[in-house]
Amino acid sequence: MPFHCVVVAREVWDTRDLLAGVVGEGGLNESALSRRFEPEDLNSLEQALQLKDAHGGKVTVLSVGPPREVDVLRECLYRGVDEVIRILPPEGLAPDTAAQAELLAAALRRIGEYDLVLAGVSQPEGENSLLGAHLASLLELDQVTYVDAIEEIGDPAAGALCKREVEMGSEYVRVPLPAVLVMGVYLLKDDPRTPRSAKAMLKLKMKKAPIAEWSCEELGIGDPADLRRIEVSGYAPVAQKEVDTVDVDPEDEDALRNMLRDIQ
Amino acid sequence: MPEILIYIEHDGDGITDLSLQCLARGRSLAEEKGWKTGCALLGAETGELARELFDRGADSVHAAEDVRLDPYLPQPQSAVLGGLVRDLAPRIFLFPSSTVGNDLAPRLAARCGCPAVLDCVGFTFEGDAPVLRRLEFDAKALTSYSPLGGGTVIASMRDGIAEAAPAGGGGAGQAERVVVELAENDLRSAVERREVVRKTVNLKDARVIVGGGAGVGTADNFKLLEDLAAGLGGEIGATRATVDAGWVSAERQIGQTGVTVRPDLYIACGISGAVQHCVGIRDAKTIVAVNTDPSAPIFRMAHYRIVGDLTEVVPRLIGLLG
Repeated sequence: MPFHCVVVAREVWDTRDLLAGVVGEGGLNESALSRRFEPEDLNSLEQALQLKDAHGGKVTVLSVGPPREVDVLRECLYRGVDEVIRILPPEGLAPDTAAQAELLAAALRRIGEYDLVLAGVSQPEGENSLLGAHLASLLELDQVTYVDAIEEIGDPAAGALCKREVEMGSEYVRVPLPAVLVMGVYLLKDDPRTPRSAKAMLKLKMKKAPIAEWSCEELGIGDPADLRRIEVSGYAPVAQKEVDTVDVDPEDEDALRNMLRDIQ
Repeated sequence: MPEILIYIEHDGDGITDLSLQCLARGRSLAEEKGWKTGCALLGAETGELARELFDRGADSVHAAEDVRLDPYLPQPQSAVLGGLVRDLAPRIFLFPSSTVGNDLAPRLAARCGCPAVLDCVGFTFEGDAPVLRRLEFDAKALTSYSPLGGGTVIASMRDGIAEAAPAGGGGAGQAERVVVELAENDLRSAVERREVVRKTVNLKDARVIVGGGAGVGTADNFKLLEDLAAGLGGEIGATRATVDAGWVSAERQIGQTGVTVRPDLYIACGISGAVQHCVGIRDAKTIVAVNTDPSAPIFRMAHYRIVGDLTEVVPRLIGLLG
């Protein structure tokens, strides 16, 4: 059976290898930060594309807000998705997961027919809650979070069997379709679930392709500021532990012996 | 009516430690304001657990006893909790930051139109309104969130913020029965099977831990780590990726969805230093890191930096231990 998967893609702060100084006197020191495609969302996208490769169907990607450094929707086009839609809230709308989920839910209602909604499990900076779970609740769909893999899918009557990672192991949850799956994939080396790269051919073809934009008005949302439930009231820098790192040469037995003596 | 409500997660071994930490933190917040602390307890059998919660200091227990609430699924549980939020209207509804709490809290928040902040590490008040804090930007910023408008605020709390509420307080009471009304739509999903291990090691109290990450490469290489741990009188720890790969049992997982540890010595072998793992080892007194990649982020928090192949370095260390 062909599937219509809708993926939520987010452009987020890149928090890898951050050095101190993220918080300045006036709040966030944005010039010290860069942005990237949320990696868990990329894993979700890969899952959707693999379902399409195996069963046919269509992949649609939704994203909220205009691009800043990385245009995640164009990146999706370069990876072979069928349709991308940008939801445009009014400029300056501060993020809140509840409000974002309302915008996405309105877009999904407009899309109408779909089988799976896939979102990444991570809660990037500026998001205070788990977006996919809010979305499922608003759409009155069943949800599975922390999904490592879809074990069985294909027969519409049987729904999907998802492997969900929990504290002391895994559980296998069967959900009816449509459902919202919040993916939390832990990739290993040479993992077949590793997100595919952008394709050069598609880059050429899709570089200037128009991207659909839906405004709040079109989605029937009056003032999206009314949907917000929470606001950031401050950032404080966290004092970092100063670590004096000692380099130990793995070939030098004396150095290793000294280290073992010191640490025991 | 309790102003602070705690969601009690429980498994075959009883109430989870993190739920008891939430109860302790909830009680201290309630004391600050002269409020009461209640517990939401859902499951097939709740009697014994309710008695324990009173003994550990709960002012009230709201028990929804129904076989359809066990095993855990978010749809029926959020339906029951939605009714509880409506009837009790607590100021704060606190959940453990776990794969249950962080699954359920946001679903409930969207259902009730409440604000939600997950993975909180700090709670204060501004007037009667809570301010919730969480670590962001690779734990270099503490972000404060304030609710817009009144009503119930939903939050989940990270492991290690409070000690578990102790037993033996001698409190007693009668649990209040929560009427369970579920629609057909709440019962469409099913847990077909669980592969969950019973806990046999206590990593939280281990003095020495040898941790392995994806760089360990194979299950056989993990045996090297076991030998090193044995030589040092320690335990084996692991990252999520190695548990998923089946090299090591899930009870040894350290980090965001595992345990938080505080050993005197942590030896990180083949661990790159992803933030999901590092939150679990931040409080280790001494960290030794072995990795082939000289730019691995783990080295930034390590006291001893060994750039090398662990299949050579670890046997050498074992040899030197004699």
